[in-house]
Amino acid sequence: MAKRYLILEDGSAYAGEGFGAGATTSGEVISNLNLLGYQETITDQIYHNQIIIFAQPAIGNVGINHDSYESILPTAKGMVVRDVTNISTNRLSRLSLDEFLQQHNIPGISGIDTRHLIRKLRDVDGPMKGSIVDVADAHAFDQLNATVLTNRQVDQVATPKPYPNPDTGKNVVVIDFGLKHGILRQLSERRCNVTVLPWTASAKDVLNLDPDGVLLSTGPGSPLDLGAGVLDMIRTVQAEIPLFAIGLGHELFALANGAELTMLPVEYHGSSHPIRRIITNDIIYATQGQGYAVIAKSIDRDRLITTYVDLINGTVQGLRHRDYPAFSVQFFADGAPGPHESRDLFDEFMEAMTARREG
Amino acid sequence: MAKVVVDAMAMQRALTRITYEIIERNKGVDDLVILGIKTRGVYLARRIASRLQQLENVSVPVGDLDVTPYRDDIDHDAQGEPEVTATNIDFSVEGKKVILVDDVLYTGRTIRAAMSAIMDLGRPTSINLAVLVDRGHRELPIRADFVGKNIPSSQRERIKVSVSEIDDRDAVEIQQA
Amino acid sequence: MPNLNEIQKVLIIGGGPTEIGHETELDSATVQIITEFKKHGVRTLIIDNNPFSVALEEIQPTNMYVQAVTTANVRHIIEKDQPDAILPSLGGLLGIRIAQELIENGDIGRYGITILGMPAATLRQINNPAALNATLKEIHEPVIEAQIVATVDEAMGLVDTIGFPLIVKPVAPRLDTNRTVCENVDDMVTALNQGFQQSRFDQCTLERSVVGYKEIEMVAVRDGAGTAVLISGLENVDPIGIHSGDSIVVAPPQTLNDREYQDLRDVTFRIAAELSIVGVLHLHFALNPDNQHFYVTKIAPYFSRGVALAARTSGYPIALVTGALLLGQRLVDVKLPSRFTKQTAIMEPTIDHVSVRIPLWPFQEVPDADQHLDTVMKAVGSTVGIGRSVEEAMLKSVRSSQFSPRDVLPSVSNLSDGEMIRQLIHPLANRILVLIEALRRGYAPDELSELTKIDNYYFVKLRHLLTIEEQIQSHPLDVDVLQRARYFGFGDGMIARMWQTDTAAIRQLSASAKIMPTYKMIEPTAGEFPEDLSGYYSTFEYENESHPLGDRTALVLGRGGNQLGPNSAAEYFTTEMLKQLKRAGYHTILMNTNPNAVGVAPEFSDKQYVDPIQLGDVLNVIQVEHPDIVIVPGNRHYLTRELGKLDDVNLHVLPPDQETGEPAPEMATIGVSLFVHGQQKIAAGVMDMIAPGMNKALSQVTAFRMPAELPKAKRVNLVEAAKQAVSERQVTGMIQVLFAPKSPDSQQLKVVGVRPTRLTEMAFLSKVTGVNWVRMLTRQHIGTLDDDELAKITIDINSNRVALMNAAFPFRQLHVLNRPGSTDQEVGATIAFGSSEALTLTNLSDTAELDQIINRTI
Repeated sequence: MAKRYLILEDGSAYAGEGFGAGATTSGEVISNLNLLGYQETITDQIYHNQIIIFAQPAIGNVGINHDSYESILPTAKGMVVRDVTNISTNRLSRLSLDEFLQQHNIPGISGIDTRHLIRKLRDVDGPMKGSIVDVADAHAFDQLNATVLTNRQVDQVATPKPYPNPDTGKNVVVIDFGLKHGILRQLSERRCNVTVLPWTASAKDVLNLDPDGVLLSTGPGSPLDLGAGVLDMIRTVQAEIPLFAIGLGHELFALANGAELTMLPVEYHGSSHPIRRIITNDIIYATQGQGYAVIAKSIDRDRLITTYVDLINGTVQGLRHRDYPAFSVQFFADGAPGPHESRDLFDEFMEAMTARREG
Repeated sequence: MAKVVVDAMAMQRALTRITYEIIERNKGVDDLVILGIKTRGVYLARRIASRLQQLENVSVPVGDLDVTPYRDDIDHDAQGEPEVTATNIDFSVEGKKVILVDDVLYTGRTIRAAMSAIMDLGRPTSINLAVLVDRGHRELPIRADFVGKNIPSSQRERIKVSVSEIDDRDAVEIQQA
Repeated sequence: MPNLNEIQKVLIIGGGPTEIGHETELDSATVQIITEFKKHGVRTLIIDNNPFSVALEEIQPTNMYVQAVTTANVRHIIEKDQPDAILPSLGGLLGIRIAQELIENGDIGRYGITILGMPAATLRQINNPAALNATLKEIHEPVIEAQIVATVDEAMGLVDTIGFPLIVKPVAPRLDTNRTVCENVDDMVTALNQGFQQSRFDQCTLERSVVGYKEIEMVAVRDGAGTAVLISGLENVDPIGIHSGDSIVVAPPQTLNDREYQDLRDVTFRIAAELSIVGVLHLHFALNPDNQHFYVTKIAPYFSRGVALAARTSGYPIALVTGALLLGQRLVDVKLPSRFTKQTAIMEPTIDHVSVRIPLWPFQEVPDADQHLDTVMKAVGSTVGIGRSVEEAMLKSVRSSQFSPRDVLPSVSNLSDGEMIRQLIHPLANRILVLIEALRRGYAPDELSELTKIDNYYFVKLRHLLTIEEQIQSHPLDVDVLQRARYFGFGDGMIARMWQTDTAAIRQLSASAKIMPTYKMIEPTAGEFPEDLSGYYSTFEYENESHPLGDRTALVLGRGGNQLGPNSAAEYFTTEMLKQLKRAGYHTILMNTNPNAVGVAPEFSDKQYVDPIQLGDVLNVIQVEHPDIVIVPGNRHYLTRELGKLDDVNLHVLPPDQETGEPAPEMATIGVSLFVHGQQKIAAGVMDMIAPGMNKALSQVTAFRMPAELPKAKRVNLVEAAKQAVSERQVTGMIQVLFAPKSPDSQQLKVVGVRPTRLTEMAFLSKVTGVNWVRMLTRQHIGTLDDDELAKITIDINSNRVALMNAAFPFRQLHVLNRPGSTDQEVGATIAFGSSEALTLTNLSDTAELDQIINRTI
């Protein structure tokens, strides 16, 4: 395998071995602390334009599996790992990670002291740009420093057109900001008749479909860059039908209801933090992936109730509207990868829709 | 044969949703009091109150209503005209918004008796009814404001609610008579 | 629910002697639980009869019951000392059984005692697999349905529905027994007839065999409020059909996808909730690799080697946390020592390295045992290797488990092809070497996976190691290859052999090419938080996290994985030695590969390196730490010799070399132990040296009685004779002078030999005399032994209290004929005290009962 480098905007360079695509890419470098699930991670659109450092040291062990896609067309900018195995003969695998990355033009670099990088990023204040390159020379650093991180991320990954995912149960509209397939799987398991709409859909577009409920999906990038239209849509829809929002959707739901957001000094991607479910005072674990957080002090208590909170960093992890059956969580309730114990939020959503119809 | 129709998780969620709906409907928890109908309604009432406390950091008064006579606590609602006495209520209901809590809503006779008992205590602003299960077959014009789960049932069936405080678990089961 | 805040006195049911099934991991957990209890102001009582227990050294003698761990004895303690609670989960399955019997016979209710960790109903179910299965079925957990049968005819009626292979197990066996895999009706009838006899209810269960499935273990902790944290999954490389204790185990699992892993985590938590477990829970699963269906195969709400490995690999302090949870604390409130980030107890560990545990088997010492690995556990110990790749972890573990003094792997290249195939299908103790050899001969990973039911992935990784080996061989003294070799776990000794040079040359080349080890902290947050834990492993990367501990440091080299012989006594010795070094003002650094070792707890050592105890790795640690003294165990001659050559290493050999210059006598009947320090000779005791069988050779002396059954005056005379014998020789330290009759019929004794006191007897002497001889010996070595202190020691060699120590052997589990064992076959020992009338020598030969006490397995 070819010798390649991970270079960072602080001027450091790390030599490793290339795998996957041979492309030279740049993006924001973030660490993912999940124990397993590299395929789910690399295909999750929240990592659009990012270079992912994996805490799990051995990657590629189970190849690429048909039921572990979180999107079909991954757009991450790279994988940084300690050790990679390109194996495709596992019972479920048809494809090795190496081939998969080549197909999607995503470079990987192995043999990197990922633990060192994770420790280093822990203390960095603000996003760190990085590149995977063939030669770590002045030119490469110049290119890196010239790279501007895009803020049109949702546009680039979300569906431009509506599409259905038919079934026989409740009618659910999903607004796609970079939809994670785990959400669709959870709705499918509950027999929902889903229509996925582009994130630019208006309240009228949504309500014209006469749905039982609406779900705001996860997605990449900054919620502050999406404009006022989407917030108007949320405000109108939440007053009419049950609403459930996840990840980026949660951040937008908060904004729509008067709360403010802050950019975290270090993005957090992992599933080890205890999250308190305030109403029952118990603790759950869930995969979290966030670069922004709702500022607790900014929450208007006449409009929103805080429902979940991260016990490690104190961030708001869930909100609920005081007047409507509209609620949101920052963490990924579908798991994939990560713990399953918050999946019953989808049941909560189903029951809210049932109550609405019967009530 | 008993069939579990609401398991522990679902019961937790139902109570959570009822709690949120109470907040939605009442625009908060000001002037709320909660009265549980013995036996299991009392435990459900306390759970709702503890959820409200968790969310709003406000202690909502909880009292008990005793249904007499009752032959058994599975479907006391079906046994003729019950009498309800207010017990263990150390607060006034005057001018309060009362949330009345029972496990199963059936004929409605218990609820009517409960409302009379409350009226004897004072004059609340409003009375809302929250039930874990609405099984239908009403004999009076009474409906619940907050319903955990609608379980359409035959009159030959029995609905059994278990709560972990006094039973070995949380569950709602349907038993064929 | 009892009020746990009111608990002030807890009785711990101890683990008993080391044996196949458990070694020092129970002792290690016990020490930490005691520490946590102490922090909460709880007084701990303990019942145990393991003379090598470190936990027994950690509590006041008045709180200690050195007795066999039986229901009757536990009841006596309850009557006498009235504890508020008992803790069964440190005593393995026996602890669980005893607790249940105490409930059944009413003692728990009568004395109002709380059982910590689980309710009575759970205890009952853990003891009754059929009831447990029924519960699991009720909550829709996937279990292998077991059918209970009382006759062969009943079983025949079920054969068609279950199908072969099937498994027969006795219900509520009188002795610990194992499942029997039956391939046909004849096997089944034999197993049933045996099983009916072993069952307390004359019943057996029949169930579907899951042989060939993957075996996955999950270790979790849960608090009384229902919050649970998954500490680690453990993947057995070997399939079901090989006992998990005999399997190579990898943590965290490498060949599961996230969904499979999370599904198992869900089930683990649901079962923990259903059984109301508080503290630790360890589950086993059988996972069908073809369709991902899985079954729960074992539920163990108690400490075990799996729990120890999960703690070692994650850095999560399972025992400390469990101690707090047992006393009613919630996970969110658990306060860990300051080396941990504040909320570590409630964070689910993320592991950024790989650990591989490889068992050690006793076949060298017990060659007539059937050496095939099957459903009955045969291993007596294990070694762990930690690295940042599977290759590195695997190779490190192999280098420790297939130990060679010069760090060169043994070869199995002389196996015929036929024999190799046979061993692939019916593995022996050298399993891992045969797997590698098959790859070397060109077998493809998927072929081997088919033959062995081991996941293809592991063969791909092993083949990668062979590729690197080829590169090493074809590129002598190439620094790029050297970098790669060290990166993937090759030892300096291995590389030196391939390049036909010596370790020094390899090290020089590495130094000049700056191929230096980088040590990584073993901690549970994968670098997310700045933990300050004390466990490290080496790798060859960018950042080194280990910095010298400071002034006055002692590096202690452990003995590696447990084996037959004096090893559990050696673990006791090492731990006590670490304590003394600490007391003498040393910062202690321990290097060890035994995941079950007691000494790796931060209570005993300030810093731990989990790396092969081989010359290159030791020198790497020395290079980082610059210890003031280095302590090497006496059985490591090559290492001692090589380290001795270095000017800047102040070397001590402890525990002392058990071999002496003079030839050992053929037999001895009495041993007098003396502590010799300069002119001082302190008599520690006069003991009977008992060879329980017909063969009275010294190697057969495995039972000891103190004081020896002799007239008082005679004991005094022997002590004098012993001192005389010692004076004639250049010996120092803890010395044993051996006596034997002058002639076969004679009452007269003569000196037949002088040797260092064996580690087992040193532990025995410490327990009996109340003087910590390990402390004395350690102080003597490091020069802090005070003559006055020594002079103050008074020992009554004519004490009326009689003590017995009897070695335990692994023969029953290994299915070899009952026979007296020799010293190098000891797996552990029991100790007992009493008045001379109560404890006669005949007690020792009552092997049936002793066997029951001693030879329990989990």
